[in-house]
Amino acid sequence: MAEERLQLEPIEGRSLWSDGIRKLKRRKLAVICFWIIMLYVAVACYVQAAQWSGDYWPANWDVSTGEKYESPSWKNFCGTDIFGYSILRKVVYGTKISLKVAFFASIISLLIGIPLGATAGYFGGLVDEIITWVYSTLSSIPYILLILAFALVLKDKTFMGAKLAGATTVYLAIGLTSWVDICRLIRGEVLKHKQKEYVFAARSYGCSNLRIIFVHLLPNFFHIVIISFSLRFMSFIHAEVILSFLGLGEKNSPSWGAMIDSARLDLPKGYWWEMTAATLAILVISLALNIFGDALRDSLDPKLKAKG
Amino acid sequence: MKKKRHLILLFAVIAALGWGMFVLSRSNDKIDENEMVMYSAISSKPDSLDPATESSVTSEIIVKHIYDTLYDYDYLKRPYVVVPVLAESMPDVSADGLTCIIKIKKGLFFSDDGCFKDGKGRELTVNDVIYSWKRIANIKNLSPSWWVFDERIVGLDEFREYTKTCALASDIDYSREVEGLKAIDDYALQVRLKKAWPHMVYNLTKGATTAVAKEAVDYYGKTIVNHPIGTGPYILKQWNKESYIELERNPKYNYGYYPTEGEDGDFEKGLLADAGKKIPFIDRVYFVKIEEEPPSWFLFLKGKLDSSYIPKDNFDQAISDGKKLTPEMKKRGIELKMYRLPDTSWIGFNMDDPIVGNNKPLRQAISHILDKKRFIDLFANGTLDEAFGLIPPIMQSYNEELSKTPSYNVAKAKELMEQAKKIYGGDIPELTLKMPGTSVSERQYGQFFQKEFDKIGLKLNIDYLDAPMYFAELNKGQFQMYFGGVSSSAPIAYNILRMFHSKSIQSGNHFYYRNEEFDRTFDKASIMVDCPERTELYRKCEKILLDDCVAVFIFHSVSYTLSHSWVENDKPSALQYGLARFIKIDSAKRRSYQAQY
Repeated sequence: MAEERLQLEPIEGRSLWSDGIRKLKRRKLAVICFWIIMLYVAVACYVQAAQWSGDYWPANWDVSTGEKYESPSWKNFCGTDIFGYSILRKVVYGTKISLKVAFFASIISLLIGIPLGATAGYFGGLVDEIITWVYSTLSSIPYILLILAFALVLKDKTFMGAKLAGATTVYLAIGLTSWVDICRLIRGEVLKHKQKEYVFAARSYGCSNLRIIFVHLLPNFFHIVIISFSLRFMSFIHAEVILSFLGLGEKNSPSWGAMIDSARLDLPKGYWWEMTAATLAILVISLALNIFGDALRDSLDPKLKAKG
Repeated sequence: MKKKRHLILLFAVIAALGWGMFVLSRSNDKIDENEMVMYSAISSKPDSLDPATESSVTSEIIVKHIYDTLYDYDYLKRPYVVVPVLAESMPDVSADGLTCIIKIKKGLFFSDDGCFKDGKGRELTVNDVIYSWKRIANIKNLSPSWWVFDERIVGLDEFREYTKTCALASDIDYSREVEGLKAIDDYALQVRLKKAWPHMVYNLTKGATTAVAKEAVDYYGKTIVNHPIGTGPYILKQWNKESYIELERNPKYNYGYYPTEGEDGDFEKGLLADAGKKIPFIDRVYFVKIEEEPPSWFLFLKGKLDSSYIPKDNFDQAISDGKKLTPEMKKRGIELKMYRLPDTSWIGFNMDDPIVGNNKPLRQAISHILDKKRFIDLFANGTLDEAFGLIPPIMQSYNEELSKTPSYNVAKAKELMEQAKKIYGGDIPELTLKMPGTSVSERQYGQFFQKEFDKIGLKLNIDYLDAPMYFAELNKGQFQMYFGGVSSSAPIAYNILRMFHSKSIQSGNHFYYRNEEFDRTFDKASIMVDCPERTELYRKCEKILLDDCVAVFIFHSVSYTLSHSWVENDKPSALQYGLARFIKIDSAKRRSYQAQY
């Protein structure tokens, strides 16, 4: 055993991140999924930019490109809806809504979940009990019902002079209700790490609690936040679809959920293309996020690394 | 594509179908082949079969087969005409319109039941009518039909106040006199009114106003809701609440005859072949409860139901080229029946709103940019009537002249917008339209309206609300425009024009419209009996509304129903409910169809 060790080449030290990325690059499927996600992000950014800069494709989804309910053809690749609007343009426009909602909902949930989880884990005692009680109570309410309740309460309310409507209501509702999992995760990690030597060392140097939490503790389990973000992103896209389907999402422009809701009535009449296009758009991004999220977890999680 | 549609349909219906087939096959087992039997679908169970407490359409359908009312609509005549049923003739109204005499036919008997002496139904008298109207007034019964008599008959409101003072329902003394309701003899009723009520006969067609026997109410108590005892053509044989209602011919029914006159074309359609014959023809009627549309449609296609309306999802399967049956339906021998409904849908303006209320050119511009024909083509396959005014074509006061000047005119709308901007003092800000729902249909309507408004550079925000929120905002006047409508329970313009009266602001006038000339004209017409002058006054009221552009009237509904070839004398009605009595069934034809399909 000792001889084997002597035969090993010296290895250059690598950080968790660079090691993780190197491993990720080796997984071809994960790389493909990453580029698919990037493609969706690029489409969403393009639609947003198109909207800001003027009324051109695909921001002008509400222009008739054919007769009502035209089946897919070279002219209208995904067919048309009841108004003769292009389904392809609606799918492209819906990408912006879905990704925007998922992104902002993720940010809101992280902004609430991380500080609360870290505070509960680090200080313990009464603070921990209160925070644990709050998130236990929230998590006891069925998730979709909770989002629905928040969406209904927030709908058409005014916040700092701005009216909450459409996508804003949706990502606020999702973000405000889905921080529990990340909070619980962070609390556990902080509980585990706060007894480690580097935390005692930081404390002996006179670092403040805030500095210990955010400068010393958090970077040590930030990979968990990244993994959680990628996996939750997908569930937020689904939540947006559900809310739009139930009539609580974006009203005046197309989203994937609204498209599925609208296509529900068309399906029995044989007009399958709107349902198919919206479902495919959701399926591809969900699959890509799922595979990429799993790969990210496998690459960044030190426990899995040790086992491997 | 058709195969796919059938597959989806099959999966959706399979569970409910099993139950429906089971019920229908069980009921078929008991049937004598010589009997004439009719099968019809109801979408919910009746809330009550007691005329005083029933309120749903399903209840009204069943009640009107068991109980007859003093008056009802003629089965064949259009426009709809009220004719006597229990009554011997139309009411004899005094010159001042405040007293009327209603005579009922002699020799009308309640059906036999254990509640009567020796189980034999006794003769109907006007005292039964008085008793039944008092039951509606009785606060303890919480009758949803009290509005019919509210503030109408002298002394009846006081009787209602008296019932409030009684601690128990059993304490109420029905022999207590009501000044305005007097039995001159067993067959003549004198009704004294607080003010002239020219539309009384339309209200007396409602099932709630029929005659109920006191013995039946005393005998069955609270369970009277399950034991209807009437004088009508059918008696309740069985009520299996979760599956079906079986009605059987009433052997004591002896006064009904098939009408001898109809509207133009009825003779050619064979609808007068049985003119003057005694009714009912059908011995037994089954109303099968089928809540979902797909199983109901499937059972109709299998020949297990005699008639059906067309579910939205199956419209293309049944109708093509606008208003014609598809070859598939024709091959099955199915017939299409269309009838107009007494309703109007609109975009209403809030006349108190500082932007739309004070700007008539703006409202007119909006009325010119809405392409109603495209709206109807898109959302109803062209099967609705385009509205040119408020009063629907089903009503006598409908003004055909209005259809000669179509309202869709974008160039004119643009001109009017320039005037509107001058009045407002600049560009018109974004307008808001309240929609009564959040479903796909409302969202599609909303998208349509947004595009139409965009034609003249108007930005439209759509506020999709659930029903309670929608009505709350309408009642508070917190809106600029709203999408809504009205459906009348009688073929009289009075019912829909009264929504625009200034006195209705707290009870239906969501336009917050006040116009003295309109109020005067309406008030004058509302106390007149049916005559050409009244028709002209109602048309004048409509013209005032159109001139003021209080709303953009969009469409009037048209209903489509299908019936099999073995159903004879079938003429659907928008206002009449107890129709099985006029129908005939060719059972041999039905059996042959069922064997084939």
